[in-house]
Amino acid sequence: MKKLLTGLIAGASVLFVSSIGFSAPSDDTFVVGLPTDTKGLEPAQISSRHTANIMKHMFGTLFFISEKGTLDPNLAESYSVSDDAKEYTFVLKDGLTCHDGEALTAEDVAYTFNRVVDPELAFVGNSAGFVFPSIDFQSARADSELEVTIVMGAPNHVALGLISEVYVHCKDSYEKMSKEEAAENPIGSGAYEFVKWDKGSQIVMKKVANSAVPANFENLIWRVIPEASTRTAELIAGNVDMITNASPDQVDVIDASSTAKVQKVSGTRRMYVGFHQGEEYAVTEGGKAIQKSEVRRAIQYAVDVEAICANLLNAPCERATGLVNPNNAHPTLKPYPYNPEIAEYLLDQAGYPRDANGVRFEITLEAGQGRYLNDKNVVLAICQYLDDIGVKTTCDIMDWSSVYVPKIRKKEAGPMFFLGSGGGTWNPLYDMSDLATVESGPNYTKWDNPEWFKGWKVINNSMDPFVIRREIDRMLEVFYNEGPWLLLYFQPDFYGVSNRVKWQERRDEEVDIFDASLR
Amino acid sequence: MFIYILRRLPQTILVIFGVTLITFIALQIGGDPTYLFVSERASAEEIELTRIKLGFDRPLYIQYFSYLFNIMRLDFGDSLYYRQPAMDVILETLPATIELTLFAMFIAIFGAIPFGIFAAIKRGTWIDGALMAVAMLGQSIPSFWLGIMSIIYLSLPISWLPISGHVPFLMPIFQGNFIEGIKNFPTTCLYLILPGFAVAFYSLSRNARLIRSSMLEVLSQDYVRTARAKGLSEYAVVINHAMRNAWLPVVTIIGLEFGFMLSGVVVVEVIFAWPGLGRLVFDSISHRDIPLVQASVVVIALIVIILNLIVDLVYAKLDPRIKLS
Repeated sequence: MKKLLTGLIAGASVLFVSSIGFSAPSDDTFVVGLPTDTKGLEPAQISSRHTANIMKHMFGTLFFISEKGTLDPNLAESYSVSDDAKEYTFVLKDGLTCHDGEALTAEDVAYTFNRVVDPELAFVGNSAGFVFPSIDFQSARADSELEVTIVMGAPNHVALGLISEVYVHCKDSYEKMSKEEAAENPIGSGAYEFVKWDKGSQIVMKKVANSAVPANFENLIWRVIPEASTRTAELIAGNVDMITNASPDQVDVIDASSTAKVQKVSGTRRMYVGFHQGEEYAVTEGGKAIQKSEVRRAIQYAVDVEAICANLLNAPCERATGLVNPNNAHPTLKPYPYNPEIAEYLLDQAGYPRDANGVRFEITLEAGQGRYLNDKNVVLAICQYLDDIGVKTTCDIMDWSSVYVPKIRKKEAGPMFFLGSGGGTWNPLYDMSDLATVESGPNYTKWDNPEWFKGWKVINNSMDPFVIRREIDRMLEVFYNEGPWLLLYFQPDFYGVSNRVKWQERRDEEVDIFDASLR
Repeated sequence: MFIYILRRLPQTILVIFGVTLITFIALQIGGDPTYLFVSERASAEEIELTRIKLGFDRPLYIQYFSYLFNIMRLDFGDSLYYRQPAMDVILETLPATIELTLFAMFIAIFGAIPFGIFAAIKRGTWIDGALMAVAMLGQSIPSFWLGIMSIIYLSLPISWLPISGHVPFLMPIFQGNFIEGIKNFPTTCLYLILPGFAVAFYSLSRNARLIRSSMLEVLSQDYVRTARAKGLSEYAVVINHAMRNAWLPVVTIIGLEFGFMLSGVVVVEVIFAWPGLGRLVFDSISHRDIPLVQASVVVIALIVIILNLIVDLVYAKLDPRIKLS
């Protein structure tokens, strides 16, 4: 018995000693707590912001979208555009190297772009599925050691920003690897090099000397902690320096701790309720009503967006005036105020008075649950606001991934549906491209207003920034008055940040650790 | 024994067929998963191309029988999310789940023994009442709640008890890196404490009650009275005579225990960021990664079947009255 007890005490001591110094990060290490692991580390196959945030620290891009929305040099120091605006030529900085020690030249950049569209590799994701079709990518060629040209099928005013979403990797290493090997053994061109990936657990990176983008911390660890309350606990305990997607209901707990604070920022994700304009819903009572722009405009006054933000999202917000982020939005349009009396008056004028039961018309609002911040309660609140002005609304809240996403993608959600769409800060056309054509993938409302869509012709045919901006403003006025969206808010993002470090959040859901430092 | 094992084979095949069919149907009920594999701004053409690439354009029965045919050739397909062979992904996570489940089973069985024996010996006293109240609590508390409470009230105040995460022990061993595995062992145990207890508490409570009941029955037997009459100490009576027979019902449920724990492990692995098979299944279902879910279910089913077979064989060894036929 005595021996057993001694053994137990000895064992416990070993456990205790072995744990010392294991959890809290050291001064040269920054630890990020993430909700999900990445699918893989293949730079040509990124399809989530979350994975992009990890990859941008390992891979450089030609230009770099700053927090203010400017496009700053990264691997390239300058660029020029051909007369027909179909060719962008970039001049790389001298002396760049890949993490395998090889020089990074124009040949590697050309290889990167051509590899994305290699039919044998069959990549899906942001580059292959969105960037390249958007710029109508034709080919990339190395004109000299440091000059590379990207050739497009047509001019595109957002080409530079889109090209900046492509992660440059090195030909010598990637030619030798199979697709599967490349997904687990990234050889980058950025500030940090890959050390290891413990799947489901963490990704570890180490700073590279003489990188084009300087960084402060020697080591960067991305820890996967799926459960929100566990992420919060790790932050409060000081084991991670920053957590993304901090839950709004845990903001007070984090702020009350002596070890961390929540940094809130109004993000770039546009939250809206879509008014389906398709014929399939025009035969229903509510669907027919929202075909009229007067009805849609009336409904804009019915919802108290600021109250929703303050009470359900735990963050103040300013209501959107359109589908473009505030720094690029129309200069004079003001957000619709919450005024149910105006809403009721406009509905009366539109030919929808209250009946004997106080109902103007009935409609369904569909939404998926669990994707956006407190989405279910936001939708329920909107339904109540509409009920209050006599629009009897049925809230149909369904499972996000298995039921709602297929409906949305098939453009069958409606007649009203709640959704968010990612945006950017660097160009209004990026945000507006959701409705680039009637057939655009993200045009889930099937809106086909000719006043809006004719604006694209003007924009695409002009290189004059003044003309382009004037047309953008005209289109935004059309959207404001007749648009297919009930304008809501830009989804706030919550980052829990340890008091040990200084880190600046970004509006566009991008996470940069380069400039983070110890306090 | 060999013939007995052979006779269990058709049963095994039938079970595998059943679980794959039920899993397939359950996953298909949610609709077309293609949309989860394309970006938000994907065009209709890209969606259709992706659907074809992933094989979701084929009729459902073709998808299912094609999968069954491939399983027979030990080809479990590629994970749609990770884009690598599904079995490779599973084998990367399985060691972590084995660590957690074995640790939890250890607690659930060997923690229950003194618990149940003590309650039986002190039957009718306040000690018995208190222990059984704790056991009732253990069977009422959900494992996810227990996990989160243990983080808040144990891990946060006690800084040396890890909140979440994992240090591998079995994986380095399986990869031949014995020194690293042995070196990691103490830290692995530390990380296992809270999640292991969260998984085990329900089973520990149930086993304790089972051992108590079984022990009470055995303690009332004539041979135990004889042993006492011969002047043996209470310790010798309980451990050397009574325990061996009281133990049998627990052996029976060990196989079921493992299967039950695998279901509890799913939630606990998510809470404690344990990179195991349970969490993989959870994530795969969210991602609609059909090949990975199906492969995981097959693996789990096989593990449960094999364990139940071992339990039956052990039970027959322990109790000579039991014949395998």
